[in-house]
Amino acid sequence: MTATDNIEWVLKGRCYKLGHDVPHPGGVVPNRIIIGRHFDPADIIPHLFEETDPGFHTRCKPGDIIVAGRNLGMGPKMNGYIAMQALGLGLVCESMPFLGYRAAVGCGLRVMSDCVNVLEFCETGDELEVDFRNGFFINHTRDIRREYPPLPDGLLEIVALGGNTGWLKKWWADQANERQQT
Amino acid sequence: MNGMTAVEKVLAAKSGKASVRPGDVVFPDPDYVMIHDGVVMGAKRELDALGINRLAAPDKVMMVSDHDVIYGSARAAERGAFNRAAARQWGVKNFYDVGRGGHGHIFPMESGLLLPGMFYFDNDRHATNAGAIGAFGFRIGAEISRVLATGTNWVQVPKSVKLTLQGRLKPGVYARDIGFHLAMLIKKKIFDVDIDYKVLEYAGDLDQFSLAARAALCSSPTEIQAYGVFVPPSDAILAHARAKAQRPFTPVYADANAHYEAEFTLDVSRLEPQIALPGGVQNAVNLSEAAGTAVDHAFIGSCGSGMWDDLVQAATVLKGRRIADGVRLFIAPGTEESTKRLSREGLMQVFIEAGAIMLPAGCGPCNDAVIGPVHNGETSISTATNNPSGRFGAREAKLYLGSPATVAASAVTGKITDPREFMMMETAL
Repeated sequence: MTATDNIEWVLKGRCYKLGHDVPHPGGVVPNRIIIGRHFDPADIIPHLFEETDPGFHTRCKPGDIIVAGRNLGMGPKMNGYIAMQALGLGLVCESMPFLGYRAAVGCGLRVMSDCVNVLEFCETGDELEVDFRNGFFINHTRDIRREYPPLPDGLLEIVALGGNTGWLKKWWADQANERQQT
Repeated sequence: MNGMTAVEKVLAAKSGKASVRPGDVVFPDPDYVMIHDGVVMGAKRELDALGINRLAAPDKVMMVSDHDVIYGSARAAERGAFNRAAARQWGVKNFYDVGRGGHGHIFPMESGLLLPGMFYFDNDRHATNAGAIGAFGFRIGAEISRVLATGTNWVQVPKSVKLTLQGRLKPGVYARDIGFHLAMLIKKKIFDVDIDYKVLEYAGDLDQFSLAARAALCSSPTEIQAYGVFVPPSDAILAHARAKAQRPFTPVYADANAHYEAEFTLDVSRLEPQIALPGGVQNAVNLSEAAGTAVDHAFIGSCGSGMWDDLVQAATVLKGRRIADGVRLFIAPGTEESTKRLSREGLMQVFIEAGAIMLPAGCGPCNDAVIGPVHNGETSISTATNNPSGRFGAREAKLYLGSPATVAASAVTGKITDPREFMMMETAL
């Protein structure tokens, strides 16, 4: 059993569709959460999509998939992805700035970027199934199936361990075990 | 089968692979790991909280005090003390503290530490300067902690974009002007490419560009989200590297059949001096459109314009002249070596007699205006890396950018001025 087996790579849930060019400040979480340097999921979750869809966090369920268009999450990054990860959501988008992608992976979020035209293949509320490890996007409501670039193998362990901190914690524990054995 | 771009070759070599392609995730073994004074505290506390009390390769780590060199607050002094303790505890010997090196994106290239073909991780995005010497610096942000602890981190091989420069710059027009103009061309989609996370690789008539000019060529693309810039080393750059090299190195060049996401050509022979209007490097216009704008504040230095040649450019304009009443001009040499050379060669005298204020080697006001800030309502012209609102403190200040010669000329007249006016005066004399 490896670390990458500890997580469900296939999420099944409802689609929550965003448009193109949704910025991180305002579009994902209010700017005050970003400049207030809130990184505790409990502090961020009530404010996820607050400015566009108040109460989103009370309606979403683990496994739901956020589907966004091009250029998701401009501006300072990270806080919104912490909340998505803690809520058990997945993220699929047509594109996002690389640093946003890096931040999402670093938060342990199941994410696929570069999903060309994915907005055309779903509407909010559709039943989706997304395999982040193998790069499958299935819309059961509309009977559509697409293949997209999956999370690269080298990043699976980071996501499986809940992000960079979890990965470092395990790495250090493994080092300690090796030292004990020698 | 396609060949590899320069940066693809660097990443392949450092990852122990015969080849890599854009999108591959690799874990390169870096030549160096750079961390600057502003982020040591965060990284140390993060690793301490996890119980990680040793670094993978302390000998590769370069700790650099360049962002806050003169402690202007008790908090800054506290941070400096913390950093010195961290260097001791981590066993970092390459600790370029205050007064010991200068700007981390300049002195390693000047002194032969960073050499063609090398790869390093850096917490700071201006690691792109490494392209000036034909190396690749990868900005890793706060994830520098994983590099410190384990020796590496993941890098997704970026796509490359090729820009061929044609022709020679006219006198009075500099590499920094090309950078501003290029940022405008890309942001206005005249060069239609999404530069986010791309490496911009230069080609063409590059022999005219010194190391300083190459650093200037790296600056503005970085500000519009290029993740790397690469300037293939000329014979002169290789000669500098060989003369200064503190270890062996192997220069890297792109294969002739390398694949680029996009290719553009820019004729620089007709380029005029540029001014980046307030808001960002992409707001570049011909200087004539901004000429005459009154300025209160001026600054020469930064990753983009802090090398020796930049200082000479400024000194050429300032020699025998005084800056205008009501203008304050700050000069931050990139390195301690440049400061010494200014003194040896008499240029320090030029600056001081012109009325400029000399700052220690480092970032100067370009780091969140920890020194030399502006006030609301003031206008600044500088060689800072970028000029969004608030970059020099007050949000209601107008920040313009130009080449070192343009900034010096503007400081002398008190208004935005074409440096060629001074050159014409010299010719006339």
